[in-house]
Amino acid sequence: MTTDKIASLKRLLDPKKIAIIGASNAKEKVGGIVFRRLLASRRRLFAVNPNEIAIEGHKVYSNIALLPDKIDLAVITIGAAAAVKAVKACIQKKIPNYILVAGGFGEVGSQGRELEEKLKTLAQQHKINILGPNSLGIFLPNENIDTIFVEHGDQALDRKGKVACIVQSGSVGVEALGYAANTGYGMRAFVGLGNKCDLDEIDFLHYFAQDEKTNCLGFYLENIEKGRQFLEIAKQTTKEKPVVVLKAGRTHTAASAVTSHTGKLAGSDKVISGALKQFGIQRVYDDEAFCDATKVLSMLGDAPGDRVAVLTAAGGYGVMCTDFVEKKKTRAGLRMAKLSRQAKTIIKEATFPFTACDNPVDITASATDDMFSQSLDALIQDDGVDIIICIAFFAPPGITENLIDIIAKKIQKTPKPIIVFTKYGPFTDTCIKDFFYAGVVAYPSIRRAVRAARFLVERKQIKHRLLREEAQS
Amino acid sequence: MKSDLQQWLTAIGGNRNPDEFEAKQLSKFYGINIPRGRRFAPGDVLNLDGLQFPCAIKVCSSKIVHKTEVKGVMLNNDRQSVKDNFKIMQQRFPDESLLVENQQIFDGPEFIIGIVKDPAFGHAVMIGAGGVLAEILNDTAFRLVPCSDSEALDMIEELNISPVFDNFRGFTLDKQQLAQTISRVSRLAHDMGDALGQLDINPIVFSGRQWVALDIKILFEG
Repeated sequence: MTTDKIASLKRLLDPKKIAIIGASNAKEKVGGIVFRRLLASRRRLFAVNPNEIAIEGHKVYSNIALLPDKIDLAVITIGAAAAVKAVKACIQKKIPNYILVAGGFGEVGSQGRELEEKLKTLAQQHKINILGPNSLGIFLPNENIDTIFVEHGDQALDRKGKVACIVQSGSVGVEALGYAANTGYGMRAFVGLGNKCDLDEIDFLHYFAQDEKTNCLGFYLENIEKGRQFLEIAKQTTKEKPVVVLKAGRTHTAASAVTSHTGKLAGSDKVISGALKQFGIQRVYDDEAFCDATKVLSMLGDAPGDRVAVLTAAGGYGVMCTDFVEKKKTRAGLRMAKLSRQAKTIIKEATFPFTACDNPVDITASATDDMFSQSLDALIQDDGVDIIICIAFFAPPGITENLIDIIAKKIQKTPKPIIVFTKYGPFTDTCIKDFFYAGVVAYPSIRRAVRAARFLVERKQIKHRLLREEAQS
Repeated sequence: MKSDLQQWLTAIGGNRNPDEFEAKQLSKFYGINIPRGRRFAPGDVLNLDGLQFPCAIKVCSSKIVHKTEVKGVMLNNDRQSVKDNFKIMQQRFPDESLLVENQQIFDGPEFIIGIVKDPAFGHAVMIGAGGVLAEILNDTAFRLVPCSDSEALDMIEELNISPVFDNFRGFTLDKQQLAQTISRVSRLAHDMGDALGQLDINPIVFSGRQWVALDIKILFEG
């Protein structure tokens, strides 16, 4: 990607002057919502609507032609046919970037397809970027830019977040956002691709690969037209930053009639799985896994190996956790670590002579914060342990909320990944959010905590393989 | 390899799929082992020079995709039965060529290696367990072409059947060599490019310390 293109996308994602075509006083209209959202961004806004005079005390332009020069971005919130006309008028004003919210294009039939073709042609003929149509918009908490017209939990999306989420479908994107926001999630950017008449996943893969504020990229995609190109660039990216893909919608293999055995065995989903693996991309299958994976990959460093130690004050969860760790034929394999004699001695001294130290380490319901802390130290110092899963169970009387800070402080001091499972309940989301704000990755189920460990090990294996390949070639 | 491919394509001409013999000749250029064999045109006299027993007689035609279903394969022919069976096959398929091959004795399970073409990603190579049972077992792994030896090794290790390479029941199957074969098939597909529609090597077996492709089918894109 040229530096020009990078600069022009930066202008799209961090605009100084924004025109909102179709801005409205009506709070329920898309143009009303987007305008009010952008008011919070403290950018210079220019509302355009022939039927309004002022919105929230801001002047409204009756016509695009009357807009001042040097506008960076036009957010177009009006219907399909009118939106195409508006883009044409904005091009006259030399506006370089567009977000088209409206649906009613290629996804609805021949008339819509015609309109979309017109947009495509405009994008090809002029030096402009069009995001959409049918785009959910963009949301960059750090830049305080939000054009998303549906409710999402922005409060809980950390402002120092490092995950770039690029999503093709609006609804899945919003679900994932809400899901992430409920429990805390470090969002760098959210981009709704929509129908991809111009900008597509490859543009944003390029952009966020070079973006210093991004350390992990997640894509929700239904179709990847330039499949090979996407893979090649992703492979370059994944040497530095993890790339996670949620690919939905299974297409069928080859146009030609399938007569071979291989063809019957393929189904294009298996080809996609193989291809993503080959190019170092981590595949997930639903929005939960998408958020879980990007969260852990963005917040924790690589696992040095696959040996897991489990620390618990709740015996049952320790046993269950062991079962999940030892489960075969899922993603990257994990093993229960064999603890050193030294670690066991320290733990027994810090806790009780009867503490079960054969991993899972069960310090029992008589445990205290301090015992948990010292046991965790012993596991961090044990060279035979690569990843630690802490079962933060707050029912024992000696375990308090201070445990959150205790774990957080240790995470800051060790490169060894520490993942927390905290139990279910009406307070779970708040608890996970508290962990998140302290810098700790926590999940509300053992299965998800163990899966997060697998994402880290998988990531390490990918990096290892790509670097080995590079050395060989 | 690429110049061999060019010559081979010219010899086939563009208007029909290769038969099994032709597909095997091409594979040989890419270092894929095939059984020693000879093709006989309709009406040719059987000549067994250089062949061993038991041998297989197969109908060899680009028009017949599934040979077994039309009784197009006769196995376990010895010195006594081969001439009669060859005649039976000539009568059964008077207009088709016949292929007579050394029949391989092999260890361990059969595998399938294949190529498909994905609309978004292009050609992909597959390894699968089971040979003729492949579709029932559904134990497969895919990578895009071309695929390196080490990527092919990852594919093999992805299969449920992969523990069979760890000295299972005394089998000494060469995993590295199978990976190399997968990589070579992927190279062939890569070189053929858009012309290639589908390819099946089914089965491929471990015979005499090497992987041998017993049957190969190549279909042009069409």
